[in-house]
Amino acid sequence: MSTLTLLASGEDQFTPPGLELFDSPPIIAGVDWFTKPVLLALLSTLIVVVFCWSAFGNPKLVPRGVQNVGEMGYMFVRDQVARPFLGKDADRWMGLLLSIFFLVWIWNLMGVVPILQFPVASHIAFPIVLALTIYVLKVYLGIKHQGAIGYFKNMMFPPGLPKPIYVLLAPIEFLSNLIIAPFTHAVRLFANMFAGHIILAFFSLVGFWFLFEKLTPLGAPLGVVGVVMTIAMTGFEMFIQFLQAFLFAMLAAMYIGNSLHAEH
Amino acid sequence: MIQAASLLAAEEGANPLIPHTYELVVGVFSFFVVLIVVGKILTPRIQKTLAERTEAIEGGIQKAQEAQEEAQALLKQYKDQLAEARHEASRLREEAREQGAQIKAELREEAQAEARRLVEAAHAQIEADRQQAFAQLRAEIGRLSVDLAGRIVGESLEDEARQRRTVDRFLEEIETTSAAVR
Amino acid sequence: MSEKKIRPEDDGRDFASAAWSIPSYLLSGMILYGGAGWLLSRWTGVVAFTPIGLILGVALAVYLVYRKYGR
Repeated sequence: MSTLTLLASGEDQFTPPGLELFDSPPIIAGVDWFTKPVLLALLSTLIVVVFCWSAFGNPKLVPRGVQNVGEMGYMFVRDQVARPFLGKDADRWMGLLLSIFFLVWIWNLMGVVPILQFPVASHIAFPIVLALTIYVLKVYLGIKHQGAIGYFKNMMFPPGLPKPIYVLLAPIEFLSNLIIAPFTHAVRLFANMFAGHIILAFFSLVGFWFLFEKLTPLGAPLGVVGVVMTIAMTGFEMFIQFLQAFLFAMLAAMYIGNSLHAEH
Repeated sequence: MIQAASLLAAEEGANPLIPHTYELVVGVFSFFVVLIVVGKILTPRIQKTLAERTEAIEGGIQKAQEAQEEAQALLKQYKDQLAEARHEASRLREEAREQGAQIKAELREEAQAEARRLVEAAHAQIEADRQQAFAQLRAEIGRLSVDLAGRIVGESLEDEARQRRTVDRFLEEIETTSAAVR
Repeated sequence: MSEKKIRPEDDGRDFASAAWSIPSYLLSGMILYGGAGWLLSRWTGVVAFTPIGLILGVALAVYLVYRKYGR
């Protein structure tokens, strides 16, 4: 990240992209809240809703077209996310998990869509909304299913440890479960998309700068490397985007599952 | 990460870890729109369809199983019937054979009895004929003998009684001689 | 561990739970006891408390993870 501080002011010098990538001015002057990430977030919602409606709006026993694709997504979330952590409760939570998975995935995919090219989740507000919802749900479900005392007792005092050591371990459990875990839940998604966007921007800027802006015999090969890396990293980013959407939904399922039944 | 970010924030004035309020609002809005449409409205629909599909497939399998079982039962029934028919046929054949043998035996016996009866009747007839012939012969021989004797002797044996005595004596003589010869 | 419930999904769930909880526990241990050590260092002037606290935190977190998910 130290390279980001090397923001140079000279016009004839290559300047790697930095945090200004994430500064988004209002699209319409005067409407401060309507920025690129906001537009893309709304667009993602529209895409998810339209896609899911065309897939599941009027489902047929014998699926065809979009329904096939949608069912692949549903099966993936059900078999890889919901069932391993929720077991027989999986179906009840599929609505939430499916919404989270699709929404996060589309948010992330915005990072590689030409022209748009901005992962919504690289603005931490969006991961926070989802992570906070899951966090509230997790604590609520834990208290509902294990009782207020039981929930905290199960969380902070896992059975089978020597008694005196609880004094030292209970604070770790508390901090880990109630502060660090939800924090990393949001930050993991945010940081991946943030870093991925910087990497893509860096390589595409290298390619653009050395092949178009300042074409020199010495710089051209560097520009080619930049273009090749942009393509390669775009493929890699698409994998990371899917993986992060999956992980985010999986952790949500894990938190819910652990609240429904004490871990041990 | 946190340190680096806060460092950068201090330098640039825009901390990427601090959420914008309007983005939080938009985030909540988009998430809950998706949650209601996808989670509350659409997910139950696809779940219902998937359940129906599972049911249909399982129903189809069950139907096929039932059909197979029915076919098996039918086949077994046919086989049983066939075996029964075979058994019946062999039984009938056996019975017929027995009956045939019985009839044959009866017929043979009847025929033998008939034959015996015919033979006996023939024997009786022959005996009767013989007796009759013997009696006739006896009378004939008597008359011929008398005639012959009368002609040879030349004398008429008018006296009936004498004549008869003579004949009888003669015949007895013949009989005893023939018996002696025999 | 003796009170562990037998459920078919327990295996995958335990593995994933462990995999995603370990970093969280380690971080918590370091922050908690490293922070306590740092405060002690500030008050007493003995610099050694900060690394001692960090190591203690990591050790406790590792022990906790071992007892919860190990074996």
